Amino acid sequence: MTAPVLDKTDYAVLNVVALKKMATPQVVAAASGVDAASAEAVLAGLGDQGLVVVAGGAALPTDEAEPALAVAAASHYAGVRADAALLALVDRFETVNAQFLTTMSSWQQIDVGGRKVANDHSDSEYDGKVIARLDKLITRLGPLIEALAGHDARFTLYSGRFAAAVDGIDGGRHELVSSPTTDSVHNIWFEFHEDLLRTLGRDRVE
Amino acid sequence: MAEVLAEGFNVFDTGKSPSGTVKYLSSPADVISLIQSGKLSEHILLVQGGTTTFLAPALSMGAIGVITMSGAPESHLGILSREFQTPCVMTAHLTTSESRYVVGATDSAHFEEIAKELDGRQVRLDCTDHEVGRVVADD
Repeated sequence: MTAPVLDKTDYAVLNVVALKKMATPQVVAAASGVDAASAEAVLAGLGDQGLVVVAGGAALPTDEAEPALAVAAASHYAGVRADAALLALVDRFETVNAQFLTTMSSWQQIDVGGRKVANDHSDSEYDGKVIARLDKLITRLGPLIEALAGHDARFTLYSGRFAAAVDGIDGGRHELVSSPTTDSVHNIWFEFHEDLLRTLGRDRVE
Repeated sequence: MAEVLAEGFNVFDTGKSPSGTVKYLSSPADVISLIQSGKLSEHILLVQGGTTTFLAPALSMGAIGVITMSGAPESHLGILSREFQTPCVMTAHLTTSESRYVVGATDSAHFEEIAKELDGRQVRLDCTDHEVGRVVADD
């Protein structure tokens, strides 16, 4: 028997679990646009279908999650995949993404005589330049996020999350640049990239 | 001197030199069962790619060391390993083999050879060099 294609709500919730690899209902709600109470119920339903397992209060995707998402994305996002203007923006994203990864590495490590050493964040001018560069790169995602949101409004959540992270960084919360345990710029960017690839039915290039 | 089994890119210099039994992880289910086994800290984790995103929960749960068979230190996993300060050797190749990873031109035999050689071995990671990360026999 073939399982039915995930509906939009199930997709949004399972997509977030798959992107985060481990997520509480509250986190799922914040990143999927589904309210917290509904997220819990949807997760329970996805658990019954064998698409997530709940361990220690957080949901993790099973091996069946990715294939189910891939089938649903092909159905829900056929319009995105045929949108030539959007695909042109996607081509440009690849360049921006490469610049983003380099910039993120330069936040973590600085070059001293050709040798990479950990950035101890004592040079606020250097850090300020890296943050300004990240800000520019995030701004360059705007048209792509907007184009995606024209097909599915959930993509606007990324703009809000980026704005919140940038505001926090401007307010001195520098962990929001790359910390893996916060809704940091790196986490949001990475999730956006994975989400984009799934939406388009493409594999990551390594 | 201890035998160097494999070498790759060192993601960041560190004096940490974790040792453990290499555990090859090929799917999210492998990661979930390793976390649930409570034995995460006994293993050096071996995965195929630097974009092997399913490893993230293992890093956040306290993985001690990682070896990948492809990918660059600037990749997502590289960034995460520096954030978690988890020593990581990327695009490792066996010192006894001529086979090297080439983007887009590497067949599965390359990965299988490395996994077969390293999986289950007691090793230590040496990540003190600023370029080369080493997987050293610790039998």
